[in-house]
Amino acid sequence: MKFRDMLRMSLSSLWKRKVRTFLTVLGVVIGTASIVVMISLGLGLSRASMAEIEKYGGITTVTVTEQDSYTVDSSITGAASQSQTVEHLDDDLVDNILQLDHVKDAYPVLDTDALAISGGFQANIQIRGVAADKMQNLQLNLGRGSLPQPGEGQLSVVYGNMVLGDFYNDKTGEGYWYNGTLPDIDLMTDTILYVFDVDRYYNAIWGGTDDKGQAVTMPKKYVVDTAGVVAGGMEDYNSNSSYVFCDLEQLKTLLRKEFRGSVIPGQPTTANGKAYKDIYYTSIIVNVDNMDYVQQVQNEINDMGYQATSNAEWVASMQGQYKYIQLALGGIGAVSLFVAAIGIANTMMMSIYERTKEIGIMKVLGCDMRNIQSMFLMEAGYIGLIGGAIGLELSYGLSAVINSVVKTVDLGVDEAVSASVGLSYIPLWLAALSIVFAVLVGMVAGFFPSLRAMKLSPLAAIRTE
Amino acid sequence: MAGKTVIRVKDLYKVYRVGDSKVKALNGVDFTIQKGEFCSIVGTSGSGKSTLLNMLAGLEKPTKGQIVIAGEHIEKKSENQLVKFRREHIGFIFQSFNLLPALSAVENVALPLTFQGMDKAKRLEKAAQVLDLVGLSKHKDHKPTQMSGGQQQRVGIARALVVNPQIIFADEPTGNLDSHTSAEVMELIRRIIHEQNQTLVMVTHDDHLAGFADRIFRISDGKIVSIEAGREQ
Repeated sequence: MKFRDMLRMSLSSLWKRKVRTFLTVLGVVIGTASIVVMISLGLGLSRASMAEIEKYGGITTVTVTEQDSYTVDSSITGAASQSQTVEHLDDDLVDNILQLDHVKDAYPVLDTDALAISGGFQANIQIRGVAADKMQNLQLNLGRGSLPQPGEGQLSVVYGNMVLGDFYNDKTGEGYWYNGTLPDIDLMTDTILYVFDVDRYYNAIWGGTDDKGQAVTMPKKYVVDTAGVVAGGMEDYNSNSSYVFCDLEQLKTLLRKEFRGSVIPGQPTTANGKAYKDIYYTSIIVNVDNMDYVQQVQNEINDMGYQATSNAEWVASMQGQYKYIQLALGGIGAVSLFVAAIGIANTMMMSIYERTKEIGIMKVLGCDMRNIQSMFLMEAGYIGLIGGAIGLELSYGLSAVINSVVKTVDLGVDEAVSASVGLSYIPLWLAALSIVFAVLVGMVAGFFPSLRAMKLSPLAAIRTE
Repeated sequence: MAGKTVIRVKDLYKVYRVGDSKVKALNGVDFTIQKGEFCSIVGTSGSGKSTLLNMLAGLEKPTKGQIVIAGEHIEKKSENQLVKFRREHIGFIFQSFNLLPALSAVENVALPLTFQGMDKAKRLEKAAQVLDLVGLSKHKDHKPTQMSGGQQQRVGIARALVVNPQIIFADEPTGNLDSHTSAEVMELIRRIIHEQNQTLVMVTHDDHLAGFADRIFRISDGKIVSIEAGREQ
């Protein structure tokens, strides 16, 4: 018997019993929709949490810093006091890290503190030097201005969206964190002065003296141009929001000039407290090509004698958690699909009792037993297919409804995140899988009835009632 | 009638176990049927005639004995092989017609060809030809419920003929028809069997209807008691 003829015959026998077919299909529709919607909720939650992790520095980023230094006390060991050799971060290390497998990119970061002064306000800011050509990697979402261009002579900076809140009134000491009002400074247009040698600045103000008893002179104040400001207000936290960004090379040149011969704050010193010739980096940012290899890269760098940190563990525990949630939600949905499967089995059984005669006739006329079984399996599969397809459409509808409701109702999840990506999320694989699964459930439910149909005696057909 | 042998039945027994006692439905049956013959098996209810037909068609297994149809031993075949054998070599006419109600006349006739895996266009063409033969040219697209009993049985006959079988079995083919229609149908069967040089074995309890056949096997208590020539030769 031709496959097409079997498909046609099983479809027509379903069509003959429209009402019953409809009711059975309805069960599958509800079952499929409940599974898909439940899993979509789990997926949406985990996607929302991923988006949140992304805000805290990304999921494929490894940050490399120096190992915490410690000294071995000579009075305990009896040996000469010696500092554990701490590996400093330099360009060679950046090159070495770039050689590692799965490392997409690596670039150094140099952090330093400075005092920013504008009008009657001042702020202790953290300056982060990043090579100008790597700055787009930070994914700074600029609200105004642009990123500093490489090779600009003058130091120009980009302000994180929360830096403005660091400015406080230099007379009263009050600022945003004290009274909740942002200072009246336009970071783009107002003149902002930077003092890099903060210690000397305060020493000079309070009339301190240096080693030789001379009065401390006021350090130079640099006028720093603003290239851009990151979009967002004080509420929009992300890992970049409280930094001031500038080009790494410009920052290094400036620091060298400012701290000629003395130790730059934050830089390591030799055993006897002298500055090194080079400026070492505060950290190295490593981008890994795939989330799965983050831990591996992190371990390799740790083995090299550095401290590598990432969100990998956080992500892993987060994912583990959401996997359970997805399983639990999917399980709830599965119950209704299971009920639907029983419905299919029941319908097929009924159908076989009703069609005993028909099956018998087909057998007497020479219909292959396998073909009979196949036709019944196909009927059950059709019920699954139709139910699965309609159920999937229903799920898309429900998913849209859920997402629009979530936009208006506070569910305690990070609203901005859930609103932007949606709480319910049906990826293509879930859609495809749900239909395949529905067909499979139908066929499994129809298997034993089909076996029964196959084994019916052909004698039943010619029995006269 | 110097045809070749289509059916050879040898020493056939069928014993049913009813509780502790044994009932011999068939008690040693021997006969042969030649190609082109129209035979009827006649007997009262419980004489074993239906059992005989069921075993000839491979729907029941004999307890003992041989059935050879077209050179093949039916009693040795598995159920799957029997289905295949029926599909290719046997036509069947039922008392209650047993047409599939969802299919039209021509589709019902084409059903055995569907089981053989024939293309749709080809099998419908062939089915239409056979329907012409039984005089139902105008009813090809009618559903069984739109046809009279006589017409339905003609569809049944066409369905049995369509595979061009070695042999056709008919179980009380006019049992559900009035006497006038019965006679018509029997005439049709006889005419077609002879025209097409087909072989047909009919089971009936009606002496008059059995008389349409070339040969009449009279069966009683599981044994063939006499073989007569038909009246209207």
